[in-house]
Amino acid sequence: MYENIAKNRAKTAFIIMGFIFFISLIGYFIGFYFDYSYGYGNSYSITLLIFALIIALAASFGSYYFSDRIVLSIAGARPVSKEDNPRVYYMVEGLSIAAGIPEPKIYEIPDKGMNAFATGRNPGKGVIVLTRGIIEGLSDEELKGVISHELAHIKNYDILLGTVVVVFVGMISIVANIMGRMLLFGGRGRRSSKNSSGGGIITLVLLVIGIVFILISPLIAMIIRMALSRNREYLADSTGALISRYPAGLANALRKIKENSEIRSANGATAHLFISNPLGKSSVVMFKNLFNTHPPIEERIRRLDEMSLGVGVK
Amino acid sequence: MGVGLIVLIVVVVGGILIIAGVIAGFFNSMVSLRNRADNAWHQIDVQLRKRYDLIPNLVETVKGYAKHERETLEKVIAARKIGIDAKTVKEQAQAENMLTDTLKSLFAVSERYPDLKADVHFSRLMEELNGIESNIAYARQFFNDTVMKFNTRIQTFPGNIMAKIFNFNVKDYFEIEEPAARGPVKVEF
Repeated sequence: MYENIAKNRAKTAFIIMGFIFFISLIGYFIGFYFDYSYGYGNSYSITLLIFALIIALAASFGSYYFSDRIVLSIAGARPVSKEDNPRVYYMVEGLSIAAGIPEPKIYEIPDKGMNAFATGRNPGKGVIVLTRGIIEGLSDEELKGVISHELAHIKNYDILLGTVVVVFVGMISIVANIMGRMLLFGGRGRRSSKNSSGGGIITLVLLVIGIVFILISPLIAMIIRMALSRNREYLADSTGALISRYPAGLANALRKIKENSEIRSANGATAHLFISNPLGKSSVVMFKNLFNTHPPIEERIRRLDEMSLGVGVK
Repeated sequence: MGVGLIVLIVVVVGGILIIAGVIAGFFNSMVSLRNRADNAWHQIDVQLRKRYDLIPNLVETVKGYAKHERETLEKVIAARKIGIDAKTVKEQAQAENMLTDTLKSLFAVSERYPDLKADVHFSRLMEELNGIESNIAYARQFFNDTVMKFNTRIQTFPGNIMAKIFNFNVKDYFEIEEPAARGPVKVEF
């Protein structure tokens, strides 16, 4: 458990540094491309490198401190008070005592789909987000299972890493998108200015690497995301079962969620946060297993059923 | 000074440093586990206090409708007093078992008074009490988990030797007598 926390912190630091490096590199390559097409020596590449570095630093800082709020507003979640929903409130209060963490805030997404996630940068600032569909569609024991799973994510510091990654993945895909378009469609006609910077094979190779790099960056973002979330779901399932002392609750909940986990406000950047893939079946077409952010739900149910030793299994 | 002597000194000093490091590591982990258990105990305490604060209110409300149940009410008050005065984990656990029992008989009694059951104030107190009791159960679960980790650390090798040297003692679990007392008391309105 505690090794896990240290691991998650280290991974977060590593990802933040990697992100800064990545964005700076993109800035440099873009600048390099401009220099090449306009022939201004290396003024663009240096300027854009510094510019990208500053943006990346600001984004890292911002994502550490504000990513939870960004994620909540992307998901369209609203706070729930004790008076709004005492049933959920008491469940969260009790289970967070059992988990030994401060009581997280509760948010609700007004969506019929059944899903849930947790965010925040540490357990003291934890937030649990439940959809209206999951609150209304599950029995007490099942909902307790789901809440325990999310509390496990909070306790393990999965939330910090997961939430920071949302912002990074989002930014990388936006930047890559813009840059990709610029490279493909912009500046093409202006290369007539003959006296480009000495050229040669090295320039060309760098140019090609840069373009490839930018084009595959969404893929890289995707791989980072996948690497994060698959094992963590199994781990949170078992930690959650330890908190609720009733693995069958979560197993039965997953059986219901499986059919109905699609959320309108979820997107590619936030998908990995949710307890079950919120994107629906239509969006996963090719390489289903390769690009899935979640382990197969049947396997999770099987493991939970094994833990429950047949108690309460439907 | 020969090379052999230098090697010997390095080995001896290095060995001492390593042993000291291991001892320090174990000592620190034992302290942090003990603190965690104490903190977990505090969580139980918070919930128990909440229940103690609620009981006088409950007794007053019941008294208003059921004047003839003096004996039951006095038992509840007495059990609460014992709980508040309890010093050790064991004493506290015993007192809580007693209090839970007396509260149960109080609810049984209240079944006989339809007016009491219809009282809004009473039903809100009951609701709150149910919430607190399930929180006590959760806090107890966390406390016992934490105590188990601490006890395992000071009972397994080499923690057991260091526990003797530094005087770490095995902690008591917060135990509930009967399986029926594990869950919150079920009350039908």
